[in-house]
Amino acid sequence: MRRVIYVILILLLVLGLLKSCIKQDKPEDNTNTTNIQKIQEVIYPSDQKTVTINGIDYLQSQAPIGNFGGTLTFSTIGEGPKTFNPFNSKDNISSTLSEIMYDGLLTTHPITGQPIPKLAKSFKISEDGKEYTINLRHGIKWSDGKPITADDVVFTWKDIILAGFGNTSIRDSIVIDGKLPTVNKIDDFTVQFTTPEPFAPFIRMLSSPIAPKHIFEPAVKKGAQYFDTFLSTNTKPENFVTSGAFRLKEYVPAQRVVYERNPDYYIINKNNQKLPYLEKLVYLIVGDLNNEVLKFEAKELDIINLQGSKVARYKAMEPHSDFKIYNLGPDTGTMYLAMNLNNRKDEKGNFYVSPKKQLWFSDLNFRKAVDYAIDRKNMVLNIANGIGEPLFTAESLNSIFLNKDLKPYDKNENISRELLKKSGFYWDKQGKLYDKFGNRVEFDMYTNAGNTERESIGVMIKQDLEDLGMKVNFKPIEFNSLVNKLVNTLDWDVVIMGFTGSPLEPNGGKNVMMSDGTLHVYNMRPEKDKNSPRYEFEKRIDELFIKGALATKFEDRKKYYDEYQKIIYEEKPFIYIYSPTRIVAIRDKFKNIFPTSLGGTTYNIEEIYIGE
Amino acid sequence: MEIFKYIFKRIIQTIPLLIIVSLISFFIIRLSPVDPLAELRLNPSVSQETLQRETQRLGLDKPIIIQYCKWAKSFIKGDLGITSNGEQVSTKLKERIPNTLLLTIVVITVTWLAGIPLGILAALNWKTPFDRILTVLTSIGMAIPSFFFAVLLLIFAVKTGWFPVGGLTGANFADMSILEQIKDITHHLFLPVLVLFTISLAGLQRQMRANMLDVLDSDYIKFARAKGLSETKVIYKHALRNAINPLITLLGFEFAGLLSGAALTEYVFQYPGLGRLILEAVLKSDINLVMASLMMGAIMLILGNLIADILLIITDPRIRIKS
Repeated sequence: MRRVIYVILILLLVLGLLKSCIKQDKPEDNTNTTNIQKIQEVIYPSDQKTVTINGIDYLQSQAPIGNFGGTLTFSTIGEGPKTFNPFNSKDNISSTLSEIMYDGLLTTHPITGQPIPKLAKSFKISEDGKEYTINLRHGIKWSDGKPITADDVVFTWKDIILAGFGNTSIRDSIVIDGKLPTVNKIDDFTVQFTTPEPFAPFIRMLSSPIAPKHIFEPAVKKGAQYFDTFLSTNTKPENFVTSGAFRLKEYVPAQRVVYERNPDYYIINKNNQKLPYLEKLVYLIVGDLNNEVLKFEAKELDIINLQGSKVARYKAMEPHSDFKIYNLGPDTGTMYLAMNLNNRKDEKGNFYVSPKKQLWFSDLNFRKAVDYAIDRKNMVLNIANGIGEPLFTAESLNSIFLNKDLKPYDKNENISRELLKKSGFYWDKQGKLYDKFGNRVEFDMYTNAGNTERESIGVMIKQDLEDLGMKVNFKPIEFNSLVNKLVNTLDWDVVIMGFTGSPLEPNGGKNVMMSDGTLHVYNMRPEKDKNSPRYEFEKRIDELFIKGALATKFEDRKKYYDEYQKIIYEEKPFIYIYSPTRIVAIRDKFKNIFPTSLGGTTYNIEEIYIGE
Repeated sequence: MEIFKYIFKRIIQTIPLLIIVSLISFFIIRLSPVDPLAELRLNPSVSQETLQRETQRLGLDKPIIIQYCKWAKSFIKGDLGITSNGEQVSTKLKERIPNTLLLTIVVITVTWLAGIPLGILAALNWKTPFDRILTVLTSIGMAIPSFFFAVLLLIFAVKTGWFPVGGLTGANFADMSILEQIKDITHHLFLPVLVLFTISLAGLQRQMRANMLDVLDSDYIKFARAKGLSETKVIYKHALRNAINPLITLLGFEFAGLLSGAALTEYVFQYPGLGRLILEAVLKSDINLVMASLMMGAIMLILGNLIADILLIITDPRIRIKS
């Protein structure tokens, strides 16, 4: 009797398990992901403008008037900030968190991407493109009440940035033929920058923060080593003298950073009340993506970036929830496949890439065949859950320099086969591909292990290329080992990687695109090979990047950068894959949210308020 | 006097041990193909000069042996060096140690307060339904993987909204009164403590029960009972004192785990403790930070054992006589 009962119980248990299996096998419903609110539907307020009241040059917001008070909670993934000194930060989180407190002279127009004044009242660029005259606002103050003047600007540039203190990336990017720009004080509220040559990317650098001279000068005098520890995360919040909309209130390691409202900020609303509306900003430091999602669902977070795989579920939740989802358009990063075009020997006299593979990779027909064999649409659908767009250009899809004439095309295996035939490749009876010397086409393809997106891309590309008869050994390896291969040992065949780019300034990519760049991945030249012969298209891209940086008018620059994108598009040293789309969910109690592709959702943090 | 000599001897013995531990860990970290600068290398806006400066600053351009000697020299001087981000390792650790200590001390107190009495009760009620039920419950506690259990509880917290999702303090902690602050911390601590408590209770309760059963079965207990001593006296004066000895050794090990014990649970609950810090440091090959925490772990283990041994000498006269 007892045995029978046990058997029945076990059977019931198994049945229950089976049932849940059946449920799980249904594919997820993806149909409702396409109708995410497009940002074009948002009605933007007109631009902020300067108004002078009692001799103080305020910046007036034109957005609807809101209520004061409340908190907005963000999150940052990882360990949190390493420093609150905006000139020392070497990572994104530290930069974001410190730049909240320090405004720059200029900022970027969230829609057009053009530079517009912020801490500066206005700016002018001379005819020859070498002189930048900046007029400062009268009557605006640091958080300790001291006025913000030309001395602060000159000090920041001359004694911190150009002197090479802290993180030198700004300085590195504005060296022109070994010469640096100069900065001069004209009067208390006018500053003039002069670049040795016309150098268009310089204007973007003027959005870097300005430091209060009376606070930073003693630190600078104590030397670079002391400056590295100045305003570290251990500094007391009271000791920060700032100019931004918010200033530090509390930092709790590994938990959160809290900012409070700057009561004397220079941006006002249409009623001439001082902004920001929000009383507090909180950044929660979370360890990973999953925890971030949990915190958003537990309502501890107000805003979250959604991964492709989560969008469908959030979209389904949206109608009966308290958040709204925005589509910010393509991401600024570029994901690509590159072949090693290196045809040189290492120090021991061995080729970095074996000669037979060199012949394949340097053959344009081969590169194009690979390009046509890749099914980008399929990858967007399956890997990015449809939340992305195929990519064919070196500049990201939201770049203001994007060459729109370069049209996307679909996978076409016939074209691939034609191209391969033209170069003497042939197939045997089993459909295996051989080159004209009878070598089987087989190579290694690397990516960094742990990045599931790239791993899936690798698997799909391997499949696509094996349909062409190639043998692809797909090897995801540890990130550090991969970087070592790409940058030092150079013994790789094909790689799938990504770069972060800037949608505003192509010159930031010169280390990748120029033939002697430190990240010229597809044909790295270590010190000893710096003068080795270039491919024709490499030479042309070098020229275009030099010209593009020296030209001053946007239209002229656009021409040069259009051509470089066209060369990459035709020569295929990089085969771009797709751009994920950025999707953001934000609680709908927050008003004055005007998301743009270039600015994101909270570029106008001072205008955001909590509705009734 | 004897005891001081013993302690001194033990401390001398630990020195070669520490050197070996540090050598092994240093070389394993440095020989693994993790490059602390990999992220920087792949950033298009970082120049060659910056990379070179970073390499020099972290001493990566010198042979491993010299790197080790440099590290050892400053370690002996009490300087733990700087992290790869340029922060003082000691301040980094100081930020986290109190949090981890808080968590582990609460857990250890709660488990010992519950585990010892439950173990005794189970032994006294040997083979009764009470004992059986307790055995089943602790088996479950032992069987659940801590990581999985933590994730389950976290989902529970999200769905019900009864508990905060990770962390140690709420966003407006600084503005609370002391009482509210205590309440806030308790609220945040509840779930992580529950996980660690469930896991370690099982072991402790079982150990106590087994020891107690052993002792209850021994001749001297039978003799004590035959002598006509009251049951309370037999159990709490004679049996318990003998049964608890092995647990003192256990306490020594727990002391070692104080600082590094709960890394997984800390990670799941986003608890701002040492575990999370060390995990992130290992992934980035932040050598000074990893070395500091490994050495701390080793020293704590040695210290814990030493304390346990000394306590044993005090509580157990048999050991004193033997030595």
